[in-house]
Amino acid sequence: MTVLDIPTHGVSSDASPHVQVLTDRCAGCQECSVRCPTGAITLDAETWTVLADDAACVGCRQCVRTCPFSAITVDGPVLVEPRVQLSQHHPEHLLADRTETRTGIGSWAEALAEAARCLDCPDPTCVRGCPAHNDIPGFIRSIRAGDLDQAHEVLRRTSVLPDICSRVCDQAVQCEGACTWSLGDSVPVAIGALERFICDNAPVPGFDQVGTAAAGMEVAVVGSGPAGIGAAAELVAAGASVTVYERDDEPGGLLRWGIPDFTLPDALARRPWDVLTAAGVDLRLGHPIAEAEVAELNGHYDAVVVAAGASMPLRLPVGGAELDGVWDATRFLNEAHAALAGGAGLDVLRRLPATGSGMSGTPGGDTDGADGPTVLVLGAGNTAMDVARSARRMGARAICVDWMDRRFAPVRPDELEEAAAEGVDVRFSTTLERLEGEDGRVAVAHLARTRQESAGERPEVVAGLGVAEHVDLVVMAMGYRIVPELVESVGGVPVSKSVGGVPDRRWQGSGILANTAPEFARHQPVGKLAIGREHARVVAGLARQDRVWVAGDALVGPSTVVEAMAQGKHAAEAIVHHQPRRPGHGERALARVLVAVESRSGTTARCARQLAEAISGRSAPEAGEAGPEAEVRVLPIDKVGVAELAWADALVVGSWVEGLVVAKVGPARATRSWLAALPPLAAMPVALFCTYAVSPGGTLAAMRAEVEAHGGQVVVEEAISRRQASRSEPPSGIARLAAGLAGDPAS
Amino acid sequence: MTILAPPEGPPAADEPPGLPDPVPVAVHFRPPRRDGMEERFSATDPDRSWDLARHPRVARLLRDRKLQFLLILPNQLIFWLVIMLGLLGTVVPGLNFGTAITWYIWFCLVFVMMAVVGRAWCAMCPFGGFAEWIQRRTFWQRTQKTLGLGRKFPEPLARYGLILSVGSFILLTWIEEFFNIAGPGNPAATSLMVLGIVSSALIFFLVFERRTFCRYVCPLSGLIGSVGAMGTGAGFRTRDREVCVDCQTKDCMRGGDDGFGCPWYTWPGSADSNLTCGLCTECYKACPSDNIGLFVQPPLTSVVAPTRRRADVAWAVALLWGLVLFQQVNATNVYASVDGWLTGITHIRYPNPIDYLGLIGLFALAFAGIGWVLSQAFGRSDLPPSSPAASRSFVDRTSRFRSFFVPLAYGVIPVVGADYFARQLPKFFKHASRIVPSVGAWFGHGSVHSTLYNTRMLSNPEIVAVQIAVIGLGTVAALWATWKIAGRDLVPVASHPVGARVATLGVVLGFGVLASVLYVIMHAAS
Repeated sequence: MTVLDIPTHGVSSDASPHVQVLTDRCAGCQECSVRCPTGAITLDAETWTVLADDAACVGCRQCVRTCPFSAITVDGPVLVEPRVQLSQHHPEHLLADRTETRTGIGSWAEALAEAARCLDCPDPTCVRGCPAHNDIPGFIRSIRAGDLDQAHEVLRRTSVLPDICSRVCDQAVQCEGACTWSLGDSVPVAIGALERFICDNAPVPGFDQVGTAAAGMEVAVVGSGPAGIGAAAELVAAGASVTVYERDDEPGGLLRWGIPDFTLPDALARRPWDVLTAAGVDLRLGHPIAEAEVAELNGHYDAVVVAAGASMPLRLPVGGAELDGVWDATRFLNEAHAALAGGAGLDVLRRLPATGSGMSGTPGGDTDGADGPTVLVLGAGNTAMDVARSARRMGARAICVDWMDRRFAPVRPDELEEAAAEGVDVRFSTTLERLEGEDGRVAVAHLARTRQESAGERPEVVAGLGVAEHVDLVVMAMGYRIVPELVESVGGVPVSKSVGGVPDRRWQGSGILANTAPEFARHQPVGKLAIGREHARVVAGLARQDRVWVAGDALVGPSTVVEAMAQGKHAAEAIVHHQPRRPGHGERALARVLVAVESRSGTTARCARQLAEAISGRSAPEAGEAGPEAEVRVLPIDKVGVAELAWADALVVGSWVEGLVVAKVGPARATRSWLAALPPLAAMPVALFCTYAVSPGGTLAAMRAEVEAHGGQVVVEEAISRRQASRSEPPSGIARLAAGLAGDPAS
Repeated sequence: MTILAPPEGPPAADEPPGLPDPVPVAVHFRPPRRDGMEERFSATDPDRSWDLARHPRVARLLRDRKLQFLLILPNQLIFWLVIMLGLLGTVVPGLNFGTAITWYIWFCLVFVMMAVVGRAWCAMCPFGGFAEWIQRRTFWQRTQKTLGLGRKFPEPLARYGLILSVGSFILLTWIEEFFNIAGPGNPAATSLMVLGIVSSALIFFLVFERRTFCRYVCPLSGLIGSVGAMGTGAGFRTRDREVCVDCQTKDCMRGGDDGFGCPWYTWPGSADSNLTCGLCTECYKACPSDNIGLFVQPPLTSVVAPTRRRADVAWAVALLWGLVLFQQVNATNVYASVDGWLTGITHIRYPNPIDYLGLIGLFALAFAGIGWVLSQAFGRSDLPPSSPAASRSFVDRTSRFRSFFVPLAYGVIPVVGADYFARQLPKFFKHASRIVPSVGAWFGHGSVHSTLYNTRMLSNPEIVAVQIAVIGLGTVAALWATWKIAGRDLVPVASHPVGARVATLGVVLGFGVLASVLYVIMHAAS
């Protein structure tokens, strides 16, 4: 192991940061001092306010972001070394070139210098910014220690695709955008490059040790893309028997066909499946599972993970869209991938006739494509850039048009720069009006200018500024959506990543939400985006149907590789957690019961506690036997969200009865709105109870209707009068509820 | 179906249940400092049994988001009525409900509330309340997005704590004297004054975050904050400080699902007095651990017990003492001569800002001068030098002078509070009954010739006697507080501890006597 003595931070500078604490408002809560990366802030026990040591401060402004009362200001420079400069490979001859364009960190010295820029923050915002929550300071510590195997161990806890994510992730709006330096409007640690350095210099390990947490469980995974890989890896590592169904003849989904070799080499895209099949995953290629067949599959397995992606391309409804030569990005990328991989086979474009664009000759004859066919790409996102750059490598002239203003377009600047350097003609504020054909084949694209004044505004077409462009192929690369059949069969998808309500205060406290638009993150709201991604990850842990989980693009619509992988992994964690069993293959265990209760005077809450004790009592081992009891958690109903529901094997809902004797009698208001907003309960056993003064009326029926409408399975329900509940002994209904939940026929 | 034990260990009881979360694995907070916590807060932590929120009905009331709205609403209605009637009602001040309720009843009640409970008025204040409704875009709900710019109050102003508020009180008092608003004079002037306060509050609420106006600018905040230390309301405090220190969410500061973050910038985990607790109940609602109680305490606890003595409070007390002395002195013939002379030179009518600010400043500086003399006479020669300006801010800086002046100012609070209360008594005893004919005037039944209009509860000598009794009570309270404070704060820094304690008691007694003598001279003047 090599250990180099490199300072963890700090540069020589004449000026130094100055921290000012407004002691009138400083409450001594120590939110800043516990999170200060350098220990520059300490508590003055005399005044119970904090003191700052300017000499130890590096100006990262973490204290400013974490102080709940805005009682700290920091002036002066940010003391951080310059970031490592990564070189790029610009192919001399673009034609048929598949060489990776982005290069990694070239030497240990550079890697150590970059690792030394990491502050090892006590509450690392980069970890929250990473959709998979990689322990970034952890693996950077390992790099500093010169131990790449240990770095892989750290990464393995949260990611099975470090070599891929480090290449394809848009780190600027994820981990690096959320780096303390970035939030302080400085230049973040090159986290992606360091992750890649680990993978470039030490092989990603396989599954040497397989656990037993899911031993005996048989799980099917539909789809072999990033979400499927995440799920399969987690399950096989826990000892489950995993079968993966893939409709294509090659595994990997969009990793194989969606991302060109010059961004993600084939060998790397193949690597996860080499490892997984070696670990015993049964990979069945060329085996499509229609959405309607998921139920059938469910009968043969203990659990199913649907990770089929969002494969339906969006098409622009313009005149001429039905002409020959109008493709979607999936088809183009698939064929281009095969063609480029085949070396000489540039048939895709060679088949195209020369147009009247003034360009003639053989496609690919010239790397600038001046005499090649013209490919018009609709869209300017990542997929569109991949299409255009692939077309350039096949000798075509590539034009990308996007109707958004360049200022607001969600395109990666580095991707845009690379495309421009390779000769792609990217035109923002431009849209396709209609296509004209010759002999049934697309020939002319009529383009129009658009105008967009703000990011939230829909671009509008400017009349009278149209241009006609001769084209040979039009590729629609505007994005994808989930196939309607899946939406219909699963329901509730795509899940929105927009989260309402008060943000999680742990996230708020970390400071990730304080700088809403860091410069390095292209002024994107990194904190808000991270919370949205986290919400989607948590939702992936919730079964959508009985023993069926959905993850990746199939759950949230088109997103990123790392998000899909993290969701797949989380869905698998939920399966290992719940230990589902298909009928006839063992009993379903109810190890965790969640009691969600709304209480006004305390009566309903007391009943909930008594029920919790009764459930624990039923699960308690007989005298003399060893073993822990089932876990029962009682929470106020408004504190029960998706994460809590994903944890529970069974649910109890209790409410006091609202209304005036006979008028408007029903569940209390918070219970009503909570039930109405329930996510799918996927046949979860549910017990219902209410406490009433005069009459429960239709309270239980109303609760049952809502629970069943959300897929819950009501196994028992009880109305308990306040008179009964006020006695010292638990009401008899409590015992019946506990018995009913346990499936006791006597109940 | 059987109920089985979970395969892995359960999550900690205070953690919400959930599937594995990889984030906490990477989090390694520095350990928060705990040493010195017991010594720092033991004197100011209220008795656990004095937690009103332990009673379920009180707890339910405090959790109700409509509570503060319902407290504010009646005052809101009254003050909009005051504005309307002041502009549209009778011009006879004593018959106008707006002026009658504002100057004969409300001002007196505010002082009673501050002396007994502390910041009770702040919990129901219609000025901040109205602006806060607009800022939050709701009457009572927990909303996410606020209206306005949400700026932070500039640090160069905020560092002086309560002093800006005292400054605005002095300014408002000058305006009130200059236009004879509280006389009461023309009722429209009262309306315009109230409108001015409401408008100022609204502007501050729309420009700055939280209750910046209430904390730093409100004319009454400095007065209520400092004098309110006499009260029995301890405010919302932690039930278990360890829970607060370990809390990773700080919902009481940042805002949680059920409550906003403290609008007053107070953390119950470190609150040691009722100085900046506006009793708004937001922290109680927001706390996820049910770890906040509403405590009461013996009177004067927030004067005597705090170990952290704030310089802004001391200077606020000195300035408020200067102002109330001015208000007494300006009823004397000597002042009338001086003011008349100055008016002749400057052509600015009463109160001439030169003598107004001059006398207030003079009295405050005299107070500080006494502190300086005491520090010179009794300060130990080996006291550490003053802390450098950069090391601590204005509020907490230490010096030989401050080590005597600041504790002395805290000890004097009961005299100052009693003096302000006594100043309101003549109007109350002479004119409070006018509230009835002023209501009758809405219906055409009020008259300046009615019995109630001319009824006095007490004669002038009786009023003076009550005033002196109030001052006497305040002086006794101040003597007791000063004795306790001096015993703890001055003894360690005094070369002659007994002498220092006796001298400070002498100063307090002198203040009480001075105020009493001036009341005799004023002869119940309003």
